[in-house]
Amino acid sequence: MTRQSIVSIAVAAGALACLGMPASAHHSGAMFEPEKTITLKGVVKEFEYTNPHSWLWITVTNDDQTTTDWGFEAEGPSSLFRNGIKKGDLRPGDKVTVTGRPMRDGRPAAAWVNAVKEDGRVLQPRAAPVTTAPVTAAQPATAPAAQPGRN
Amino acid sequence: MSNVKNAACVGAALVILSVLVPAGAPAQEYRNSTEHFEALKREAKGGTKISWDKLPDWTGVWTRAPGIGLKFDPAQASLQQTTAQLAPEFVRKHKEKLERVAKGIEWDPISNCIPPGYPRWLTEPFLREFALRPEQTLLINEMVNDIRRIYTDGRGHTPEDEAYPLWNGDSIGFWDGDSLVIHTTQLMGGQYQRSQPDYTDRVETVERWRKVGDNAIEAEVTIYDPPALVKPWRVVQRYSRVTTPGIRIRSWVCEENANNEVFQTKEGATQHVLPGPGAGPIMRNKADK
Repeated sequence: MTRQSIVSIAVAAGALACLGMPASAHHSGAMFEPEKTITLKGVVKEFEYTNPHSWLWITVTNDDQTTTDWGFEAEGPSSLFRNGIKKGDLRPGDKVTVTGRPMRDGRPAAAWVNAVKEDGRVLQPRAAPVTTAPVTAAQPATAPAAQPGRN
Repeated sequence: MSNVKNAACVGAALVILSVLVPAGAPAQEYRNSTEHFEALKREAKGGTKISWDKLPDWTGVWTRAPGIGLKFDPAQASLQQTTAQLAPEFVRKHKEKLERVAKGIEWDPISNCIPPGYPRWLTEPFLREFALRPEQTLLINEMVNDIRRIYTDGRGHTPEDEAYPLWNGDSIGFWDGDSLVIHTTQLMGGQYQRSQPDYTDRVETVERWRKVGDNAIEAEVTIYDPPALVKPWRVVQRYSRVTTPGIRIRSWVCEENANNEVFQTKEGATQHVLPGPGAGPIMRNKADK
């Protein structure tokens, strides 16, 4: 982690403060900092569109011109797809700015929060996908009302 | 800082936990799940004899209704506040679990790719598909290609001398009009979900599944687990139709990317191995690597 390559480190507030991390597919997200974010500019090395988690790997150039591969973890393909992120959206060589919640132990990886492509398109793997239909017929008497937010 | 804040959140949750009233109880109390299931079957006069043309239409791709997260009971106020009426030992275990989570110490048994098991199966936040046949229904969860088979051909449970614990148990059922009533036994112990209470290998359930409107399927679930629950726990799970254009359920191989391999630290926390880009599949036998 260097001054030049790190665009910003911020303390995130809000809804995640108590819970810490978004729901994660198959393991606890406790290895990531729940409140800090890190934003890095880099070049896509590989987009591993896999279950149970996907990994976006970018190569970041450090102050001393060495490079570091940073990994950003998200959910698996169907969750990404529901958030509008397809395998072909991030190809090796693409320039991208990625924000995530860094690992507590300082290794170069983070939970992926968003990525901004060179053309300005924002890819948010953990945005709340509005991809379920509203109930259009009789409401059940026993079920709770659907709440907004991510599942 | 985060530990302090988390501890405060958990503390508040535990206060509420101690005074919570359960979300609901069956209209009638039964001594166990078998008695409950048999009573429903008698009320349904043995169940509706259903043919292919009379099966309800549950086609489509579904997922747990939005906004529930990992809460087992969608009606509970937060992840930490269970609506289960737990036996004292399980109250203590749950409290200790929440305290560990608040310190960042958490390990999920499915981290090494074992299936979640039922009844936790109800809560996994991924895609689902329901395949209905007159004699059998398949309740399919995308995650680890996990299928529950519900036999509706009139057979009973697996005989005792053939039975052994199963991830998703042994499920039989019948149709009551357009509702599918299910009895599940022969389960393994587990946890209802991360930060949720534990259940034992004596857990059994009675479910009533039905479609409510065009875009929701509801499962009313009553859970019996005498060692862990002081009274049956009734929850209502709900699944919404997924409308993403082009969405498909695909094979889910949990070991396909070694960057997803994690291990449990000495403190009991979860940590990544993280070999880096292009790691390939997880190789459990390290000597072969």
